[in-house]
This record gives sequence, structure tokens and C-alpha cells, in this order.
Amino acid sequence: MSKVWVIAKREFWVTVTRKGYIFAVVGMPLLFGGIFGISFLTSGNLEQSIKSGSEPVAVVDRSHTLDFELAASLEPVPESPTAATEVPQKAAGRKPSRIVPYTDMTAAVRDLKDGKLSAVYLIESDYMSTGKIVAYSPERGIFSDLAPPDRSRLYDLIRASLVKGRIDGETRDRVLAPGRLKQMKVSKQGDVENASDAFQKAARFFGPFSMFLLLTMSIFFSSGYLLQGIAEEKQNRVIEVIWASVDPMELLTGKIIGLGAAGLLQVALYASMLLLPAVTVFALFQVSLTGLALSLVYFILGYLLFAGLMAGTGILGNSPQESGQLSAFWTLLSMIPMFLLAPISESPNSWLARGLSWFPLTAPVTMLLRITSGHIPWVDVGISIVVLLVSIYLAVRGAAKMFRAAALMFGKRPGVGEILRWLKEA
Amino acid sequence: MSLSSPAIALSSVRKAFRTVVAVEDVSFEVQRGEIFGLLGPNGAGKTTLLRLIMDIFRPDSGCIEVFGRGFQKDDKARIGYLPEERGLYTRQRVQDVIEYFVQLKGVPQAQARTRTLHWLKHLDMLDVKGYRVQELSKGNQQKIQFIATVAADPEILVLDEPFSGLDPVNVRALIQIIQELAASGKTIVLSTHQMNLVESLCRRVFMIHQGRQVLYGDLGQIQKAHSENAVVVRSNAHYSDCPWVTHTMANGRGTLLVLKENGRPRDVLAWLLETGAEVESFECAKTPLEEIFIKMVQR
Repeated sequence: MSKVWVIAKREFWVTVTRKGYIFAVVGMPLLFGGIFGISFLTSGNLEQSIKSGSEPVAVVDRSHTLDFELAASLEPVPESPTAATEVPQKAAGRKPSRIVPYTDMTAAVRDLKDGKLSAVYLIESDYMSTGKIVAYSPERGIFSDLAPPDRSRLYDLIRASLVKGRIDGETRDRVLAPGRLKQMKVSKQGDVENASDAFQKAARFFGPFSMFLLLTMSIFFSSGYLLQGIAEEKQNRVIEVIWASVDPMELLTGKIIGLGAAGLLQVALYASMLLLPAVTVFALFQVSLTGLALSLVYFILGYLLFAGLMAGTGILGNSPQESGQLSAFWTLLSMIPMFLLAPISESPNSWLARGLSWFPLTAPVTMLLRITSGHIPWVDVGISIVVLLVSIYLAVRGAAKMFRAAALMFGKRPGVGEILRWLKEA
Repeated sequence: MSLSSPAIALSSVRKAFRTVVAVEDVSFEVQRGEIFGLLGPNGAGKTTLLRLIMDIFRPDSGCIEVFGRGFQKDDKARIGYLPEERGLYTRQRVQDVIEYFVQLKGVPQAQARTRTLHWLKHLDMLDVKGYRVQELSKGNQQKIQFIATVAADPEILVLDEPFSGLDPVNVRALIQIIQELAASGKTIVLSTHQMNLVESLCRRVFMIHQGRQVLYGDLGQIQKAHSENAVVVRSNAHYSDCPWVTHTMANGRGTLLVLKENGRPRDVLAWLLETGAEVESFECAKTPLEEIFIKMVQR
């Protein structure tokens, strides 16, 4: 059994049994699942209690603008969501109106305090000239400062009341509901297709984007483990014992393979976790097979590049903490595409996106992002892969030189000039 | 490797770090099957020399040969190295750590396990095989490091301060093991500050000071060369009557008789026999290695 394999096997096993790894693989999805679940439940409560709670809203109309009889006709028909934007003429089958007229402001505020109302709107007597409406809502933390409940219902009622008797029929309907938007999509070839519905649109974005995040995180997790492992081995002097048995290139290769496998396992576990089935489904259905294969290629290339860089940097520090600080340089550079997420996603073939794809440090993350955002020219794929392969060779070779020069150097950190001299040496 | 070629040979080796010259013009040979002592004060360049032998460092100039030729990649599997500073995965279990280091020497996993258990038993450490390294005392960690070095059964053992942190009982046990290993044909390079151990273990030594050779060769001859022309005698004779003696001094092992320039130990022995004195012991005086060491360092 080769020494590289012995090292790779140990690195894999030690990494996957680390508390940090187990937390990242199992704990993180559970944590995010928990947060998501709590948010979901909480948002449900909020929606019920604030936005569209069971209690009605009171309107004290001192301007006498509103025709409260119209309120019921404005309620949506149940089980017909598409009709929500229409203004039906009949109230049959509708829920009772949530807008209740009050004449006495004091009584309204008292009922609000007692929880019988979810909000009170006061339409001032000079409303027609000023448009002034005062909303009262119960004190319920920061969410109570958001838009008061049923505001849109009130506005619908105001509009309906204002046009009543002045315009009728379709004109009235269009004033109240100007349009029912249907989106079409024109491809580069000129084909016109129905745009996706909301779910598909969400899937088209979140599926590939989740996969991009997953792969990007795994690149940095895995190369981070490598950095930490090397810095620890230097700190506890194990590196000298290992080096008496293997050469730096064997050591690096073994570590990169072992930790890369741990990173791939992490991706596979995330993808297969029951907590994230949506991500997997979205990714599988919304990313083409070519895109999926390319994503894996960029994941592997990105990992190899950052593994080389992290290894070379990790050996320079006197402790894992110091090595971590030094490696922040690479991490920050490589995260540039994340800061430019919006422009790259919107224009995946812009010169900005293409330029970042040709620069080795930003290429993996940029290409992973561009793959999720649309079709990319094969020339960009070719250039970025060549650039990455050359950079990986240089990074790993440089790391091996750093190992030889700095693995047993303790105390003072080498300067830039010295590092460059080491890199030049054979 | 031919049987006649030395196990290790250094020729005019130089190594500098930045502006500091760690080793300058060093040459010596270590013969197969011998226990070779590498001596020197702190910071003299001993560890650099050992790392050069292990191909951890490469010399700036000069030549290093192991097994009769330049260092080959596979030679690392044939040389065991115990560094001065312990290098162990402290959070892992004793048996796993040793097995890993043994496997890195090219030993298959099953064999690595067998040898690990054998050596743990040999050093009376079998009961701690499941402990995490950090749970062991300093001395026991040193023993684990030693086992990790010898369990791969290398042909050459480079031991840098192997007795560090050990109590006298364990020092004695380790001496015995080192002697057994040498007797079985292993070549051992021993670097230590404990001069009495060098005297009892090594036949030849090399001493480095400020990166340069100050002593090299047969230990007995070195001691003789650094000793006065004297003998240590325990008898009932009146030494002042001896024509070869200039003066006498009390010595822990008898009386030290300092001889005239033309006096030889055999002349004194003949005189003792002629006088009919009862001689309990008679030996040529040797300066302890420690004294030579201090003298060379302070020179």
C-alpha cells in the first residue's frame, strides 16, 4: 500500500470523525432546518396575528368616503386564487368582510386593546384633500411596526367607494384591478414560450443557487481542514516525524486526496439528507446534466487549487490561528464573485463575469455561479479549466517547496522576499 | 549496499539558514552495526546534521551518502528517526499513532499492528495502547515515540536525545534495547548530552561545536589523547619511591600517579611487582568524556 494512500486514508478518517466535521455535516442542516422551521411557524403566527389575523379591522370614517356595503364584494372567492385580483360583482360564496365600520374612535381603540380587533384605521374628515389615514395597531414587538394588517383591503374599498356611481362595468373593474399579468419568455433564438409559474421560477433560481452554495462551501470547508491539519502538525512537531518517512509531495498529495474525499462526502451527505430534499430535487431538475458535470469539475479544480494554496500558507504560521489569519488573503480574493453575486447572476456572460472566470482565484466560484445562471460559452469553460490546471500545478508545487523550507521553521515568520526566494529555488 | 561501505558518510557538508551557518565542512562516517555518538553543546548543529542525514534538509554543499550511495527516496523506509522534540498526535490513541507511523515506513497494516503490539509489550506499555497520547506522562510519551521509531524495523536508527524525560529504570531498559538492536546488526546514531551513556554505549563519536568538527574517532583513543600520562592504582606501595612518578593525587578509584614524560604504565606496573606490593587494581587513567566535552566547548 503506497504511503500516499496511507496518508489519504488517515486524513479522511480523522477528518470525518472530527467534531467540527460532524457538526458541519449533521448539525448545520439540523440547525438551519430548526431555524427555518421556527421561522416558518413564527411567520405563520405573525401572518395570522398581524397581517391577516382572525380579528377584523375597524374603520372610523370621519370623511364619509367609504361605502361599507361594498366591502363584502371585495373579499376573494375561496379556492380560486387566480380570482384574487378580479373584482367580482356578487358577494355569493365570499367570506364576510374583515372591515367593520366604527363610529366611535374610543370604542374602537378599546376593542383593539381587548384583542377584538387587529387594527383600527381612522380616516380623517379632510381625507379627500389630504389623503390622511391614521392606523392603530397593538404593540407586538418589532413586527407591529411593519405595514398594518388589511391595508390593501382598505385601499380596495376606498377605490371602490370613490368610483361607485361614476364609472361602471369593465372600466370600473380595470380601475380596481388594472391587470392580470401573464409573463412570456423570448429566447435568444427568438422562440416565445410561457414563462414559468412561481414555483418553477423559484426552483430555477434556488435549486442551482443552492448547489452553487453547497459546492462553494465544501471547497472552503475541505481546504480549511487541510490548512488546520498542517498547522497543527507543525505546531505539535509531528511534521518532522512524518517527513522522515515521506517527502513533501507525497504528504501533500495524500492530504489533498483524503480531505477532498471528506469534502465530497460532505456534499453527498448534504444532498442526500432528508432535511434538504428540495435542494436536491431542484438541483437535479433545474440543472442540466452538463451543468451538473461541469459543477463537479469546478468543485474538484477549485478544491485542488485552494488546497494547494492553503497548504502552502498553513505551513508558514506558528499556530493554526496564525495560519488561519494568513489564509484569509486567499479566502477574501476567492470570495469576490460572492460580493458580485447580483451582476454575475443577472449577466452571466458579461465581461465582468468572464474576466473573473479567467482569473484562477475567482474562477471556481464564478464558474459555479455562472453555470447556475444560464448558458456559458464553451471558450470560457476551456480557458478557465486550463487556467485552473496550470494554477493547481503551480500552487501544489509551490506548497511542496514551502514545506521543505518552512515546516521546521519556528518563531519568526518569513518575509515576502524570503518566500519568493524559496519558490524560485528548485 | 556493499558490506564494506559505511552506513552513513558525510563529506565536507555545509548548511546555512539565512545568514547563520549551522554546519560547516563536516565529514564523518558511521559504520554498519555500530552505535555512533554525536555530541555537541546546545545549538552546535547536531539536529541540523541529523535532519541532513534524514534528507529533511538538503546540504548547500558537500555530499551525504547512506547505504553507500546518494540518498534515494526509498531510503526513508530504511531509516528510523526519533527527533529531539516529541512529535505525536496527542489527541489520538497510542496504538493508532504508532501503527500510522509504522505504515508510513512502508509496512503493511496487519504487520504494523503486530509489530506495534509486540513493541508495546516489550516496553511494558501494552496496557496503555487504548489511551490517548495526551493522557500519558512525558516519559511514557517518549517511550511511545521510541516504539514508533523502532517498530518499523529500520536498518539505521537516528536517535536524537532518546533518554529525554525517562527515569533511571527506563533509561536502563532503553540502553539494553539499543544494545540489543546494535547486536542484531542495526546501525545507530545516538545524539545525547548524557556523556556517561555515550561512554557506555558508543565506540566511536563525533563532536560538533559552532557547526564545525572538534572531535571525531575512537572514543578510547580520544579519551587517551586527552588524558595525562597517568595511572590509577589501588595497592599498599609507597608511590613516592617509584622512579617514574612525578606526583600523586587521591582518586575515587585509588591513587592517581602522574608519570614522568618518559615513564610508561608498564614501567610502573613492573616496579610495583618488583617491590612485592599487593596490587588490587591497576588501570591507565582516562579523562571522562564529560571533562573533554567541557574542555572543548570552553576552549
